[in-house]
Amino acid sequence: MMKAVLEVNNLKKELGSFSLEQLTFSLKEGCITGFIGVNGSGKTTTIKTILGLYPKDDGSIKFFGKEIEKNEYEIKNRIGVVLDEGYFYEEMTLREMKSIIAPAYTNWDESVFLNYINRFNLKLDQKIATLSKGMRMKFAITLALSHHADLLIMDEPTSGLDPLIRNELMEILLDFMEEEGKSVFFSTHITSDLEKVADMLILIDNGEIVFNESKDELLERHALIKGDNSLINEHSTKLFLRLRQTPFGFQGITNKVDQVCEQMKDIIIERPTIEDVMLAYVKEG
Amino acid sequence: MLIFAIVAPIFINSKLGLSNGSFISFLITVLFVEYILFNMISLQEDKYKGSALLCITPHTRNGVIKAKYVFILVIFIACFLLYNLAAAIGASYGLTRLSIYSVGVALLIISVFFSILIPVQTKFGYEKTKYIFFIMIFLTPFTLPTIIEWYQNNNIFNIDLPIPQSIKVWIPFVIAVLMASISMLISIRIFSKKNL
Repeated sequence: MMKAVLEVNNLKKELGSFSLEQLTFSLKEGCITGFIGVNGSGKTTTIKTILGLYPKDDGSIKFFGKEIEKNEYEIKNRIGVVLDEGYFYEEMTLREMKSIIAPAYTNWDESVFLNYINRFNLKLDQKIATLSKGMRMKFAITLALSHHADLLIMDEPTSGLDPLIRNELMEILLDFMEEEGKSVFFSTHITSDLEKVADMLILIDNGEIVFNESKDELLERHALIKGDNSLINEHSTKLFLRLRQTPFGFQGITNKVDQVCEQMKDIIIERPTIEDVMLAYVKEG
Repeated sequence: MLIFAIVAPIFINSKLGLSNGSFISFLITVLFVEYILFNMISLQEDKYKGSALLCITPHTRNGVIKAKYVFILVIFIACFLLYNLAAAIGASYGLTRLSIYSVGVALLIISVFFSILIPVQTKFGYEKTKYIFFIMIFLTPFTLPTIIEWYQNNNIFNIDLPIPQSIKVWIPFVIAVLMASISMLISIRIFSKKNL
């Protein structure tokens, strides 16, 4: 059985009018877990709370089986973090920024750092302010991976990046996962990034966890149904999580695939995308 | 800033023409250097959310706050060393070496100032605190010499305690460290509840 690298239990955090309510989920070792949800659903708040950037109101957060509050130094030495905004001192060069971050880690590996710098064609004497968004993200990943982190936590790393760099990032994650015992927790609202790499998916909506399960099982459990509008009635509507009708027919997401197949004839059944499933569960407005 | 730390005491002392001008020159120089440097760092931190970046590494929240107080102390020591250099250069302008007691009093005043500034800034952020303290700091060259002179003339710091003189000179240092420690605990407490 796979060990849990992160266990969050009944986590509560109020932030103005928004709040995380009794959040409970866990991440398994050796998995890439996608943390999905629309903008404002609570992804960043959750990540910042589990990292201690936002003090929690209640609940427990355990990394590698240990409470973060009591083992902060040890745990933070084992995790690498990439935040959406970077938070770098822009007037500094890459070398200067590294010299602030590196001494914090007991197992900082300069050779790993230089390998990533060369791989990403970054220049150590370049100012951070002059980096493009893509290069900045690569630098953030370089800093996050140069101390042999066991868990990589990323908040919206692909947001605002072109498909080429997003694809490159996915390759980096897969390379990182080749080593045994590594895990990734990766929040995004661009779910297509997760189609290729994610093992597990956690959906958050309005501060609450909607599901936490394996990507394959989730997509297996749901289906995208298309058919003629004549098949839609008061009874069949209830079989769908989300249903859209146009003059040309209907399209709906269901988690009752067997019942739909039994009750509706002449329909097209397709495998849904992660986005289809996510939108089916997200409350509108 | 290095040049300022050497030239400023000589300049201020020559302009003040007071009997205890050396001490006041040192104090004003230290206050300016500390405040400017501390604010430069706070500005960068506020602009780029530097403390959030530091707190995702093994650097702890407590460590971030402690570093601010250590920074003030290190700059004070650097200013003191540079002042001694200035005293050597500017001896002809009447700049003299400071006694341990004077250095202690200067440290105490710096300690009082930053013991208020750091917790206030931790609580309200850089922007709000900036306006209050900018006004205060620019008033100091006009008010501080008068206040200090008045205090010294009235022997406020020379309270007759039944302890040897050799120990008495260290009292300002002890009070300064005590104040800074209390302030640090308050700042740590405020910062531990802050959303970064």
